[in-house]
Amino acid sequence: MDWAEPKNTREWVVRIFSLRLMLMILMIFGILISELRFDWMEQVLGAFLVKTNSLRPESGTIWEINRQTETARKTLEQIVTDRQASQREARSAGSFTEISANLAADQGVMLSPDDFRRLYLELPTSIAQEIISPLDILKIFSENRFARTYFEKQGNGLQVYFLDPENRVLQRMLIGADLLDLMDQSEHDVEGNLDGFSKFKNRIYPADQFLNALESLPEDSRRNVLPQPERLLLAGGRIVRVGISDETVSGNIELGFEIKVGASSRVVFIPGREWAVWQIRAKLEGKKIDGAPFPDSKS
Amino acid sequence: MRLFEKMLRLFRLIFFSILLFSGVSAVLLVGIFFLALNDLPRVPEPLSRIIETPPTEMIAATGERILIIGGRDAVPLNRVSPVFLQAVIATEDHRFWDHHGINKIRMLKAIWVTLFEPGKIQGASTITQQLSKNLFFSFKRSYVRKFQELFVALQIESQYSKREILEAYVNQIPFGVGALGIEQASRTFWDKSAIDLNLGEAALLAGLPKSPTRYNPYLYFERAKARQRTVLQRMVDVGYIAQEQADEAFTDELKLRQKPAGARTGSYYLDMVIKHLEERYGPEIVYHGGLKITTTLDPQLQSLAVAALQKGLKDLDIKLGPPSGSETIRPQGAIVVVETTTGAVKALAGGRDYFESEYNRAIQNHRLPGSGFKPFLYYTAFEKTGLNPATVFVDQPVVIPIAGAKDWAPQNFEQRFEGPIILKKAFTDSINTIAAQLVERVGPQGVIQTARRCGIHSRLAPVYSVALGTSGVSPLEMASSFSVFASGGIYHEPFWISRVEDAYGRIIEEHIVSGEKVLDKSIVYQVVDMMRGVIDEGTGRVIRRMGFDLPAAGKTGTSDGYKDAWFTGFTPTLSTSVWVGYDRDINLRTSYGGGFTGSRAAAPIWADFMLKATEGEPKREFPIPDDIRFEQVDPVSGCRAGASTQGSIRVALRKGQIVCEQDTTKIIPPD
Repeated sequence: MDWAEPKNTREWVVRIFSLRLMLMILMIFGILISELRFDWMEQVLGAFLVKTNSLRPESGTIWEINRQTETARKTLEQIVTDRQASQREARSAGSFTEISANLAADQGVMLSPDDFRRLYLELPTSIAQEIISPLDILKIFSENRFARTYFEKQGNGLQVYFLDPENRVLQRMLIGADLLDLMDQSEHDVEGNLDGFSKFKNRIYPADQFLNALESLPEDSRRNVLPQPERLLLAGGRIVRVGISDETVSGNIELGFEIKVGASSRVVFIPGREWAVWQIRAKLEGKKIDGAPFPDSKS
Repeated sequence: MRLFEKMLRLFRLIFFSILLFSGVSAVLLVGIFFLALNDLPRVPEPLSRIIETPPTEMIAATGERILIIGGRDAVPLNRVSPVFLQAVIATEDHRFWDHHGINKIRMLKAIWVTLFEPGKIQGASTITQQLSKNLFFSFKRSYVRKFQELFVALQIESQYSKREILEAYVNQIPFGVGALGIEQASRTFWDKSAIDLNLGEAALLAGLPKSPTRYNPYLYFERAKARQRTVLQRMVDVGYIAQEQADEAFTDELKLRQKPAGARTGSYYLDMVIKHLEERYGPEIVYHGGLKITTTLDPQLQSLAVAALQKGLKDLDIKLGPPSGSETIRPQGAIVVVETTTGAVKALAGGRDYFESEYNRAIQNHRLPGSGFKPFLYYTAFEKTGLNPATVFVDQPVVIPIAGAKDWAPQNFEQRFEGPIILKKAFTDSINTIAAQLVERVGPQGVIQTARRCGIHSRLAPVYSVALGTSGVSPLEMASSFSVFASGGIYHEPFWISRVEDAYGRIIEEHIVSGEKVLDKSIVYQVVDMMRGVIDEGTGRVIRRMGFDLPAAGKTGTSDGYKDAWFTGFTPTLSTSVWVGYDRDINLRTSYGGGFTGSRAAAPIWADFMLKATEGEPKREFPIPDDIRFEQVDPVSGCRAGASTQGSIRVALRKGQIVCEQDTTKIIPPD
């Protein structure tokens, strides 16, 4: 190839119209025109990018949205699962105390009227009466609009709402912490003896003395002192001592029955109506029945 | 010949320069390609993955869908009107069917314009490039990003058919007003499916993506029409339609779907709902979780509330006269409507225009309620001291000494004193000296406690003047707390979300409508009876003059120097609070110095709204408790009115409260 500048016009013309240059120009134009016509460069680049697609990061707006959607889906799933789990737990709960124990402070559960009825009927009569009278329950159940019950924690207590289909509260009731404790204790026997409970101090009587005193009371009083005698029968063993609590909770006084089973002993708690317990205590202490309730009662 | 040789040399120079430039460009391009390739995003497969985000829907209390956040109503291309596709292609990228992702001629032209025509920038993005940009890149401009956008477009073209690309594009473009994708846009603007769009509608929609806010037909109809004209002309130029068809489509009447004022992004109400949800669940769940949120919004009441507020503020602009100097600040306002039996917020507007100012004055603004706070004072006085509406006090100058501070000497708005007057009249005429005597008796803490029981959560200063509304409260608090009076002393916490469900309809949260008895219903009734007096014959009588004749009660309020004008009032079913004032420390005064009270500025808005909101409703009285009886009494002596008594007033009295007989006058002097 001659790199020297042409020396005359002829040489210029020869070089310009040389086959090599013509071919080169043709090739360049060919490339340009074919690119304009067939977009081969875009296609090559595109094909390369398709091939390497799986190696590239999932970045950019759409992937970010995708990730956020996935996170949102998982979080929601967790919320729904938790909610459903607490609903399930509440539905299978055997008592109000169980519902209360399973509920977090800002959580609530919705139960059907039948679930509520079942839980209510599980309660000892004296406590059930204290929460809401069966007549009031009947009244609510007979309302056409009554659709659901909603339970939520209120302090250490349990607030129960009776709702219509639009979630308007028809009636509400609060099961206080004291009452929940009472229910809890009345549901569970405790290993040990009465001396371990300060609330029975100075009010522990031999079983036969207590039962004799009970027998001497009128039928109505007997039923209200011991509304659930079947629990004592179910506990088995032999009652050795009975304690009377020094506290009144929502019109109830707790009785503790110390039961000997073999070498061990345990205590069964049963709430009795305050007025009836007061009668038996008077009997046990040889006092006249027409007196005031215990001075240290709190209701 | 020498000249010829010179030209040849020049030609040679140019030729080799171009060759060199092309070579360098090619090398640069390869470099840029690999640079851009570094963090080039992966393209999803299939492309329809872009529409998998479930939308979060907001539902009105009436069941109407009012807003969709995120998500798309994707439709296949054969369910989109062909004229819309033509309009989009003609406007955005008329060589769409021919190119392979980039339009080289248009790109060269754009480079030329950008380089050699200063101040001008010409876009050259094809539909594929726009799709690439919308899917993967932010709106931050940079050269590397521009190349990345281009390369992704090339990949999309290689990977998918033109129809798939067009389908993805039309299903994700934003049209404004919260509408993403053609199906949503079509339903939002025309209340029809995308397949049913006619030429005029399609052309208007195709013009929106360029600037959805600027061409929003609800706000700037003329601009949107001009843009429609441009689109139609492009369709003619490209050969899709004839000029006659374009002219005809342009002159066709466009029937935009009438949307309720609250049912759009940019609504104070929905903004409040979204913020609440974001705080509770986080933005990710709100925007990408596919929630179904049932709100308490009543679209009709919302439209009426917004219209009444805007009209009232316009009227006020006229009455106030042109702003002084170069100031263009105009008074603002807020309105909140609460259902008295549940606490549901049925309508809310936090300003004259959300697009001018997003500041929600209905909930964020804590302004002085003035006399609007007196119902809490009177209730407290009746409850704590056994006073009744017929008790006589003396309207006279009052000075209340305050330990460690200047004496408090409240003035009457009218700057005159009435002498002996019964409490009901003192309330309806909003006499401050008597309110001061009452607060001196019950103490500011008593008033604050009553306000708290009614749901006022704002900070209230424990000073005597709190009874005259010198601590700021929000319109939402006012509407909600007054609903306690409407419902006979039952407080319902205000709420705006009834239920939240996930995309599968599983309940995540639901509101329990639970009322709590916080005030005595008989005393409440006495206060309500006095508040009725405000509307019937007191400071709010403009409401009756405007034709509102249903039983209603309320209270006007004006803060010192006319900075805030309030009217909060209620019927047995709706409690509505209206606030008007400037955002800045400016008085509501005309250039002649006349001030605007709650009665002049806020009560007409209240009346205008309530007139329409309760249209056709039967007269519903406030329930009268069993121990309430009524007596006609003399407004000066408070004694039972006789035949000769002038201007006797009916008062509500509780069991055991008696009024003196006609001839005796019992006046309680100030302490």
